[in-house]
Amino acid sequence: MPPAGIPPSRALPPKESSLFKEVLHYYEDRQLKKGLKAADTILKKFPNHGETLCMKGLILTHMGRRDEGLELVKQGIRFDLTSHICWHVFGLIQKGQKKYDEALKSYTQALKFDKDNMNILRDAAHLQTQLRQYDALVETRHTLLRLRPQLRQNWIALAVAYTLAGNLTEAKHVLEQFERIVKNVPDYDVEMSEILLYHLRILEDLGEYAEGLALLDSSAKERTIIDRVSIMEFRARLLSKLGSAEAQQAWQGLIEQNPDCYDYYKGFLSNRGIDLDAITDETRGQALQLLNDFAQQFPRAGAPRRIALTVAVGDEFKALVEPYLHSRLGKGIPSVFTDLKALYRDTAKREAIESIVHAFLDTLTHPPDAPCPPSIDPTTYVWTLYFLAQHHSHLGRHQRALELLDTALAHTPTLPELYMFRGRVLKRAGDPYGAARWVDQARLLDLQDRFLNARCGKYRLRAGLIDEAVEVFGLFTKKDAPSPAQDLEDMQSLLYLTEEADAQLRLGNLAMALKKYVAIQKIFDDFEDDQFDFHGYSVRKFTINIYLNTLKWEDTLRSHPAYVHAAINASRILVRLHDDPSLATKPASQSHLSEAEKKAKKKAKKAEKKVQEDGKKGIANSTNEDKGLDAGPAKDDDPDGTKLLQSPEPLERAAKLLKPLTSLVKDNFEAWIAVYDVAVRRKKYLQALQALNNAHRLDADSPELHIRVVDFKRRWSTLSDKPSETVASVVSSTLPKLIPEEISLELFNSQYLQKHSSRGGAVLGAAKVSRDLGAPREEVEAAVFTALNADVELNLETAMAIDAFLSEIQSSRQEEFRSVAREKFPLATVFASREELQALRRSAVQKDLVDTNESKEEILS
Amino acid sequence: MGDDRERERERVLLAVLRVWPSSSLTPARTRAPLLSQSPMVNESRPSPSRVSFAAVTPNNLGTVRKLNSVLFPIKYSEKFYNDIVQPEVEDFCQLIYYNDIPVGTMCCRIEVQDGQAKLYLMTLAVLAPYRSRGIGSQSLKHLIDTAAAHAKPKINAIYLHVQVSNGDAKRFYERHGFKEVGLYENYYKKITPHDAWILQRDIEAVSGSEGK
Repeated sequence: MPPAGIPPSRALPPKESSLFKEVLHYYEDRQLKKGLKAADTILKKFPNHGETLCMKGLILTHMGRRDEGLELVKQGIRFDLTSHICWHVFGLIQKGQKKYDEALKSYTQALKFDKDNMNILRDAAHLQTQLRQYDALVETRHTLLRLRPQLRQNWIALAVAYTLAGNLTEAKHVLEQFERIVKNVPDYDVEMSEILLYHLRILEDLGEYAEGLALLDSSAKERTIIDRVSIMEFRARLLSKLGSAEAQQAWQGLIEQNPDCYDYYKGFLSNRGIDLDAITDETRGQALQLLNDFAQQFPRAGAPRRIALTVAVGDEFKALVEPYLHSRLGKGIPSVFTDLKALYRDTAKREAIESIVHAFLDTLTHPPDAPCPPSIDPTTYVWTLYFLAQHHSHLGRHQRALELLDTALAHTPTLPELYMFRGRVLKRAGDPYGAARWVDQARLLDLQDRFLNARCGKYRLRAGLIDEAVEVFGLFTKKDAPSPAQDLEDMQSLLYLTEEADAQLRLGNLAMALKKYVAIQKIFDDFEDDQFDFHGYSVRKFTINIYLNTLKWEDTLRSHPAYVHAAINASRILVRLHDDPSLATKPASQSHLSEAEKKAKKKAKKAEKKVQEDGKKGIANSTNEDKGLDAGPAKDDDPDGTKLLQSPEPLERAAKLLKPLTSLVKDNFEAWIAVYDVAVRRKKYLQALQALNNAHRLDADSPELHIRVVDFKRRWSTLSDKPSETVASVVSSTLPKLIPEEISLELFNSQYLQKHSSRGGAVLGAAKVSRDLGAPREEVEAAVFTALNADVELNLETAMAIDAFLSEIQSSRQEEFRSVAREKFPLATVFASREELQALRRSAVQKDLVDTNESKEEILS
Repeated sequence: MGDDRERERERVLLAVLRVWPSSSLTPARTRAPLLSQSPMVNESRPSPSRVSFAAVTPNNLGTVRKLNSVLFPIKYSEKFYNDIVQPEVEDFCQLIYYNDIPVGTMCCRIEVQDGQAKLYLMTLAVLAPYRSRGIGSQSLKHLIDTAAAHAKPKINAIYLHVQVSNGDAKRFYERHGFKEVGLYENYYKKITPHDAWILQRDIEAVSGSEGK
């Protein structure tokens, strides 16, 4: 039976050979136990039969015995290196482990020995898409189409491959070919409709608008495209691009369909030669006229009115914004301020809004202890106070905002927004404890409000109250989860992970902070892995358009603010570990950690125990249950993050975290600073210099950059082993643009300080540099203290950074600084003394909602 | 192997879309009352202002506490707050909303004597700036209508105490059909005057079908 060419080690006698076929069968039917038994029978006689060993390994993996399974598969391959089954099995397992590049290598091996195997080809195509190897993908899809041209999805898959590879013309040809031969399409077929829309998208991207319009019109007429909104949108866009007179009508139709879609107005106006993103004095009047017409036509639509506010200036703006504000404040829309905040970039508009709303408030003001005059609606008054509080707090006038909120609270003490925003003002003013207390007050008014609960948890984290925060977050999590924190991580709550990591970092618990930042990184890895299944699914279901959008989104995934923040902060921790490895072994000695830590450890132990028990249970009933190939969640063997903190090569890990940022968020100053810090320590001088250049492009005067420029020059000039000549020549030609060659670093530093002596941040930066240059502590301290001078602009953030710096250099004048800072920032509590801080922390979670009752004597039951 | 796995993957896809577990935190925002009580807008007033009601629950009890602390010169015991969230009195312990903001409360308890059920109105009050807009009247009317439509138990009367210094309140209840039926001497122990009028209104039940 065995065909010629089969190696003798693989050939089995007829009985075993049919038994092996049964193994394959059982595996496909998921009869794992029977499959295992059959495989064992073969192996009893032929213990070195590679394919059987691999199949047994695969079955064991499915049954949850992953390590054992993998070992058998590896053994099997060694016995039979030319079997496509062995390599296929190995590929399957690697894919399950999400090692996509290794899996693809195995599939490529498998294809060497069975080049037309459809299943292997298809899986390989998915892997190639995941790994963005688009040229190879086109090859694979071609092969699949050649093997099975009668399958619709093979045609579409090839077109998609061409699209991804950037060859739109070929993609178009494939689709044209496909549309010519496709037969028996039922009416109102969603799949065909999607394919035609995909075809249109390619034509639009190719700039073949006339051809696109022809396809659109014929498909719309024959009703082969059934998505009517898409038809209208494509039509409007294509007509516009063709400069057709019908375009205006098309956009008008879309606006009538949905008068609140900004894109439609944008399209309509751009068709009239008005670019909403670059309004000129010539186009302004015309745009306002058109928007006004739409506003009249659609009295309930917000979009034309709001767009007009962006376009209008001067008195025209005032005339438009006044009724806009009055109607929204009158309706009690809580988000008016958020809606208008974007206009504040224009100072004139900001001032106009301020005076209009204050004038409006004057017409509404009435005492809180008597009935409101009938001509006024009391809720309008409250919402107007709320708006103004947001306005003033946004501009840094926190005291003013608090007064407005207190007026509103005396009038209507039951509106949670007022409490919440009062908390927010305190947070901005540097009082995280008061902030947490006020947000908690808002929450107590309505305990089932998810937003208030989430906010309360976040504010508690901001105040460093980690246990108390988890208590609130626990309202959201499954009751049978090992811990709320674990469940929130499983649920991929970026908000929680980010805030807890930041809180741990502020508390000095580097291990936990790093652990949470890494958890965020893992979530983004998961996002990336999650797309894998769609490479097969979307092509098979013909949901091409949304699939292509998804892939594009996945490619820029790590530009998400949560990732950027986590990567930068984690890299900072890792750099600190590199500079001072003793941090990794030092016990987190701070007193405030003790209680929280103990509890966390206890919880983690419990969770661990539970996971282990679950694992045991799993083995006990693992008879025939398929656990799949994807490795399940690993148990958390590092609950407090110490192992993570002590892992080797912190710099390499940091570099890996930061790598996506250099291409995805090129305009993020902090990212380049973080990249520099890691690169220069890894002795990657060109990369470090490139980071400095980019940072210089974004903010040439930044103190953080100043510090690094000096740092680079110092390291470079004291380098013992000179790097290669190319590197040296690039550095010597580029560095002088950042720092003059001839002057000393001390002089450079004092020049910088002189130039920016009125900026608190610059004062701190210069002080840090002189510390790095070895100035005596007293001198550095004196330099820092000039930030407190009356003519220096000092914000809260910088003051806190100075406080941290004084603590870092173990200055004896830290307390002195804090007491001056207390006076400078009267609302802030962050500079309070240690004892006071204890009391503040306690007060943040006190439930004093009923305090006002204490003075009352009469008690009614 | 192929098609099988593809099918399996479809199932996996559903799992990819992670879902928050349903928890005890039901609808996202329940601050604005969900009760579809007909918006009893006074037709003579042109403003579109709405008065609406929602039952007092353990979740919004904080709002009730806040209101009571501002509205009344007396402190209520924990027993009071425990009683008003009981399901039997759900219809008669309500938060009063004006334009979706809680501005008042009314809380009753049911007293049964000799097989006759009476409602005792413990509190009814609206924040000062929101008075003189008919909110109290609408609330009291709402209460009387609810009482009249109530079947188990059937409500025969509503009564309450008013401090004898509070003529305005007395007139307010009298406008809604309440009559003075007695004087409770030394009702208040620590605030003066100590005495209270007892005001009562009989309730004529409407059958469920006619009831509005």
